[in-house]
Amino acid sequence: MSSATQLPTRFVSLRDLPVEEHRGRDAMWGVIATEAALFFCLFGAYFYLGNDKARWSINQPPKIYYALIMLAVLLTSSAVLHWGEKQVKRGLYASGRKALLATILIGFGFLALQAFEYLDHWKTLTPYSNSYGSIFYTITTFHAAHLIVGLLILIYALFIPRYGPTLESPFRPYETASLYWHFVDLVWIFIVLILYVIPNLMVHG
Amino acid sequence: MSTAAIEARLTELWETPKTVHGWFATVDHKELGRRYLVTALLFLIIGGVEALIMRVQLARADQTVLSPEVYDQIFTMHGVTMIFWYASPILSGFAIYLIPLMIGARDMAYPRLNAFTYWSFLLSGILLYVGPFMGQAPHAGWFAYLPYTGIKYSPSHGMDFYALALIFLTISTTGGAINFIVTILRLRAPGMLISRMPLFLYSTLTISVVILFALPSLTVACVFLELDRHWGTHFFSVAGGGTPVLWQQLFWFFGHPWVYVIFLPATGMLSMIIPAFSRRPIVGYPYVAMATILTGLVGFSVWLHHMFTIGLSDMAMGFFSAGSMMISVFTTVQIFAWVATIWRGRPVLTTSMYFALGSIALLVVGGLSGVYTGIIPVDWQVHSTYYVVAHIHYVLIGANVFPVFAGFYYWLPKMTGRKLNETLGKWSFWVMFLSFNAGFFPMHNLGLLGMPRRIFTYKEGLGWQGTNMLVTIGAFALGVGILLSIINVFISLRSGKIAGKNPWNSDGLEWESESPPKPYGSIHLPTVASRHPLWDDHDEEEDPANDRVLDQGRLTVITTWLDAEPKAIATIAKDTLAPLILAIAIFVFLSPLYSKCFG
Repeated sequence: MSSATQLPTRFVSLRDLPVEEHRGRDAMWGVIATEAALFFCLFGAYFYLGNDKARWSINQPPKIYYALIMLAVLLTSSAVLHWGEKQVKRGLYASGRKALLATILIGFGFLALQAFEYLDHWKTLTPYSNSYGSIFYTITTFHAAHLIVGLLILIYALFIPRYGPTLESPFRPYETASLYWHFVDLVWIFIVLILYVIPNLMVHG
Repeated sequence: MSTAAIEARLTELWETPKTVHGWFATVDHKELGRRYLVTALLFLIIGGVEALIMRVQLARADQTVLSPEVYDQIFTMHGVTMIFWYASPILSGFAIYLIPLMIGARDMAYPRLNAFTYWSFLLSGILLYVGPFMGQAPHAGWFAYLPYTGIKYSPSHGMDFYALALIFLTISTTGGAINFIVTILRLRAPGMLISRMPLFLYSTLTISVVILFALPSLTVACVFLELDRHWGTHFFSVAGGGTPVLWQQLFWFFGHPWVYVIFLPATGMLSMIIPAFSRRPIVGYPYVAMATILTGLVGFSVWLHHMFTIGLSDMAMGFFSAGSMMISVFTTVQIFAWVATIWRGRPVLTTSMYFALGSIALLVVGGLSGVYTGIIPVDWQVHSTYYVVAHIHYVLIGANVFPVFAGFYYWLPKMTGRKLNETLGKWSFWVMFLSFNAGFFPMHNLGLLGMPRRIFTYKEGLGWQGTNMLVTIGAFALGVGILLSIINVFISLRSGKIAGKNPWNSDGLEWESESPPKPYGSIHLPTVASRHPLWDDHDEEEDPANDRVLDQGRLTVITTWLDAEPKAIATIAKDTLAPLILAIAIFVFLSPLYSKCFG
């Protein structure tokens, strides 16, 4: 065989290795990659439709203050969750759980705010009005759907009895759940920029 | 502990009981891989029969075997079945079965996710075929252009079955991709550095990443389609400020990378099979690996070449034409590596090698016609003609079906423990190869003569009759060739030669295990010291102190992703019904659709 080579035997023992705890996080990065691509496509559709000014009837840009309040709410939730994650890593599981509960409540607050925003916005624009309305509501509803999924994940993590060292999966539910939550927040930042800030700048600026 | 006691303990831990519950609950990658292969082959047969029905209709001018409506539905179902439910899942089947064996792991990284992806693949396929049985099949081709697929021109629920079944399938495919990525990057045997990985892993890893970034575009397109059809939005309606071109952009942004998804793992299989039968390592391993990755990457910048006729700017067309030609360079690198490997080696002409060689020949023809159609004026001439049909079939049959058959003749002995009959296999190859060329090469000619694709019949006197008859005869003979191989499988299951651990004296780690492999793979988790574990002088399972047995539970080893240093011990989930229940739940969630069809 042309490739036969003399190789020293390497001693590998698997006896004293720790239990692996990060597969949940690894999979979540995969989920985040593909969800990021999903929103990339949605934004792509937004720009593609908006590229042709003849068919893009954005009569008045969406009111920016709602979006900014909602952004502040979501950023707060991320900060609280991050603090909770740090507590869990220090072994303070009870305060970690409280932070999780607080995040969930703030998350519901966001949804309530979005409902108000929709009610107000609906007077001038609906998904049935034109292509702008369709894509605007689709993107924001997709975000809300992801937020709801995030809430379900957080609620699941809230009721998991153990955050500490364990020999059973899920190993680090807190870390994995918060990773997804931060991603949903990040998407909202892009939504605020693309759907709210830029149209307002283009009208007023 | 004695080896027998260890074996008994590992078997107890890893074996799925042969009960009804065990059958539905199993998370064993070997069982799931086998099911993937069988299910995908069933879809190949269904899609093939649909193709033959079409060929009967087109054999002569002015045939009336099928009405235009039924013809539309059949060519759509043929395309959708082959591209989505055969071509990609069959490769996933090989990957799910082989990758854990190739990397010396006990199972995939997420066994329950693995089971879920199988069940949702199966159920989404069933969902797709619920429609036709209710007389509501999709009828707009596999890429379903608007406005024809809008509610106005497609009032039946066929397009809804298309959109929802595809969304369902994307869930399955995405889950599978995440599973492959983590399995390949984290579960490799100690010592299997990223520079020693079998090339099949490079291709599977590449397409898994491509899937993550390309598939959402299809999901978005299908969601928009459903919203437009049933909720009155205006993504595609010109009157409401939308544009049908949005569908084309979204669909092809997904669609062209998808071509590489169903092509690259097959080339990865060739990169395993050709060196094994050339009795030497592949020539230019790093170049083949890099060409694979670059194909996946550049695959994202060619999609506009499907749309050269819709009136794009010259700038955009020029860019995408250049991209389309550039990508052929990477495929050429692979082809030259294979040819050089054969040239410098001592080829053994087994059936598997026959299929691999046939695949190279067909891929060159299909690749060259692809380069032609990437040239804008040529594309304008042959767009939507049989020339394109010939091209797509040369690429997909040449670079998917033939490698898959090479893979079956190569790896089936590992899966079943018995070899396939070589004589019958070579007959099958020659019938398939000759009939394929007889049937599909003339399509180039038909296309240049101006025969459009997707017409249900044509008039006499256009000069297409004889050629079309030849195509039909070729298609049926191709079916016979495939049938010969299927018969061969059944013969081998009953009375094939016992294969033994390594019937081909191959180099890969998968040949280290028993044939068929034990539920746990190998007793001692192997270590790897070179690119060709079974050809070098290193004993993979050398482990006198039983340091790498891991029989305390369902465990496998996690290594670092570049250097494959052992890092941690991973637990592997037990058999469970949860994946099946979740897949059924999604199927039921989509039930308003088919209940609407009944009512």
